[in-house]
Amino acid sequence: MTLLRNRLWLVTLTALIALFVVNWILQPNLVTPNVLKSNLTVFLPIVLVAIGQTYVVLGGDIDLSVGSVVALVNVVTVSVIAALGGGPGGVMLGMGAGLLTGALCGMVNGLLISGLRFQPIVTTFATGIIFGGLALLVLPTAGLPVPAEYWRTYGGYALGLPVVLWIFIGALIAIAIISRRAFFKHLSAAGGQRTAAFQTGLKVGQIRIMAYVLCGLFAAVAALCLTGETASGDPLMGRMLALSSISAVVLGGTALSGGSGSAFGSVLGALVLGMIGNVIFFAGLPFDYQTLIQGLITLLALAGGVLVSRR
Amino acid sequence: MSPVLEARNITKRFGAVTALSDGSLTVEPGEIHALLGANGCGKSTLSKVIAGTVAPNSGVLRFNGSDIAPRSPRDAEALGIALFYQELSLVPQLSVADNIFLGHERRTAAGFIDAKQLRHDTEALLQRFAGVAGDGFSADAPVSTLAPDQRQIVEILKVLARKPRLIIFDESTAALDRRQVEVFFDILRSLKADGVSSIFISHRMDEIFAICDRITVMRNGVTVTTLTTAETDRDTVVHAMVGELAVPQRFARNSAVAAEPRLVVSQLSSRRLDSVSFDARPGEILGLGGLQGQGQSAVLRSLFGAEPLTDGSVVLDGKTLTLRKPADAIRAGLAYVSGDRGRDAAFHGRSIFENIAAASLVKERRRLVWPNQLKQRFIDAAAALNTKYDGLDAPIGSLSGGNQQKIFISRWLATNSQVLLFDDPTKGIDLAAKADFFTLARGLADQGASIIFYASEDSELLSLCDRILVFNSGAIAAELTGDTLTAFHLTNAAYGKAA
Ligand SMILES: Nc1ncnc2c1ncn2[C@@H]1O[C@H](COP(=O)(O)OP(=O)(O)O)[C@@H](O)[C@H]1O
Ligand SMILES: [Mg+2]
Repeated sequence: MTLLRNRLWLVTLTALIALFVVNWILQPNLVTPNVLKSNLTVFLPIVLVAIGQTYVVLGGDIDLSVGSVVALVNVVTVSVIAALGGGPGGVMLGMGAGLLTGALCGMVNGLLISGLRFQPIVTTFATGIIFGGLALLVLPTAGLPVPAEYWRTYGGYALGLPVVLWIFIGALIAIAIISRRAFFKHLSAAGGQRTAAFQTGLKVGQIRIMAYVLCGLFAAVAALCLTGETASGDPLMGRMLALSSISAVVLGGTALSGGSGSAFGSVLGALVLGMIGNVIFFAGLPFDYQTLIQGLITLLALAGGVLVSRR
Repeated sequence: MSPVLEARNITKRFGAVTALSDGSLTVEPGEIHALLGANGCGKSTLSKVIAGTVAPNSGVLRFNGSDIAPRSPRDAEALGIALFYQELSLVPQLSVADNIFLGHERRTAAGFIDAKQLRHDTEALLQRFAGVAGDGFSADAPVSTLAPDQRQIVEILKVLARKPRLIIFDESTAALDRRQVEVFFDILRSLKADGVSSIFISHRMDEIFAICDRITVMRNGVTVTTLTTAETDRDTVVHAMVGELAVPQRFARNSAVAAEPRLVVSQLSSRRLDSVSFDARPGEILGLGGLQGQGQSAVLRSLFGAEPLTDGSVVLDGKTLTLRKPADAIRAGLAYVSGDRGRDAAFHGRSIFENIAAASLVKERRRLVWPNQLKQRFIDAAAALNTKYDGLDAPIGSLSGGNQQKIFISRWLATNSQVLLFDDPTKGIDLAAKADFFTLARGLADQGASIIFYASEDSELLSLCDRILVFNSGAIAAELTGDTLTAFHLTNAAYGKAA
């Protein structure tokens, strides 16, 4: 038990390997470049959103608005690209506008919660509705395709590896960098024992806002990926992402009370959630079971975390 | 030489409570200065004002000759002031090294944490306590796995790592053993040699006389005197702490205490209690005294079934009780009133009715409730305490702290409990409400209730109790009755053993 303390992600890693093996048995062609690539394409958005969510949770907060942030970023990006005529420059500007939107959404959440001391759950629940409403304002119905270069590039290869793999590797490098910055320790302190962090002279308010901005940025990258997958705008995109990302964070061993955990664990958690979907599909179970089973497994992970920390 | 620190006429109020009404303190360069006073006299508050954690309502702070007004611990630290927090400022989830250098991480050129340097610096600091710090004390250990003394050592090192010019050690030796204290004193001496000033808050007289140059004594939020250690002695210091009011206002008893004990507690043991035995009689107010956290609350909470016991027996009116959960205690007729109303007593946002009803519902095992049947009983109970409220339907939060506390006592009057456990019940209550509360407690005892009363302020115990048990390290160190019920004896009993 002591070995498992703060190492819940080891259990998740084991589960991931087990799920992978089961998936392989059910789907013998799993380990072929194309199938692996299409799997990664499906998992990438939740992986990215879960990474961002980790930082917020680590700081003792939560972000229920990420799903709507994804939708808003998506419609802003496709609208800007369309408005600028769809050239390479327009695509770049569109993506930039998307990233900025994500960061701004995070900033709004952070300012409300850490600046005005609003409750994180209630606030992001409300801002989620607002961001979702804004997305519908920007693009009332699904549509507005992006230029073919966008989704071709996203679905294609660079330097011999799939672009989605590069993005995944890039995300891993980003979390490795962040985890070695002082910011990460300060964030853990702010989430672990907020009074102590203040008494130590940390700028707790700024740190929490920064976590929300990071979360918004990762959600924006996820939205750009989803845009590459769907090749168009959809104001209702990403509806399940907020709750799934929290499931992934919990599965990855980050404490919902804040202060301890890792984004790497959340990546594993997100992959486990994805693999569960695969296994259900290939085992021939109705798709409707997926959410139910993901929910049960999240509950199990929460119970496991409680058991491990109790001793 | 001009003083490093001058604090003059500092005042601080928390709502209705005045924590500090005239805090003053002058510290010279390279001095080790003791700050001494009974529990609740405002030492920690004064420390926090100096360290920028708490904003004073008025007063002057001067540091190295210029006026300062630190608005946060960050500001004070930039000036060179560091505080060892009595309740510690550590993050349990982070490692020892991370905690010590939190906010001061050395970085590489690329801006990453320099893990090697961090480790090296931490090892160098830990070296000072090598051999006396106990098992499992390493740079990588999460603070959550450390023992209380080890955590205090981490807090000490964390303060030192900030390289301040003035350090306030607020009860930094409370959990340390003799050898650890020796190491700590060596550190204090070498700081002194480097010209760093220290303010040392401790309840151990011997320590203070061993290391301090001067002693400032506080009483009830006021600085009363500053003495030079070499020219004074223990008795003078204790008298300064206790003051002229050696005999506080008594809430006299109007009826005799029965001879037969009602509650007999024997050999209570648990993680925080060491074989505690005593009895309580009808009509008696039994006080639990001593320094904070010596097991007084633990006794009360254990009797109420809120903390587990490893051993011991509790007999009430001849019947042996099994106390596994509060419901057991409630049904046996015990009542618990906590000073931590928010945590232990209040149902926030619920009506006064519901707040009073809680205990009755448990005691009478009611599953369904017709409010009108209970209402009159609750109105009577609350009226008996002279509680002011708009109506039973008003939310509990609409009442002041003192009136809330009366409601929580009404809760138990409505259940007819005959043994009342008061756990520092007047915390955060203003003086008038306190006096009311004391009259009430005396009245209940006169009607035959047994009250066991823990107060963090000695004067409350002395004015109310018929008998006081003085606690030390989870055991009863002394029993005061009759002639020994004085501030002098209480202070000496509480401090004597610890010294
Ligand atoms: N944050 C707070 N809110 C309300 N009352 C407080 C607070 N902090 C301290 N007090 C009260 O102020 C008084 C002085 O407390 P403190 O400075 O901690 O005393 P000491 O350190 O000398 O024991 C006590 O009566 C205490 O209950
Ligand atoms: Mg104190």
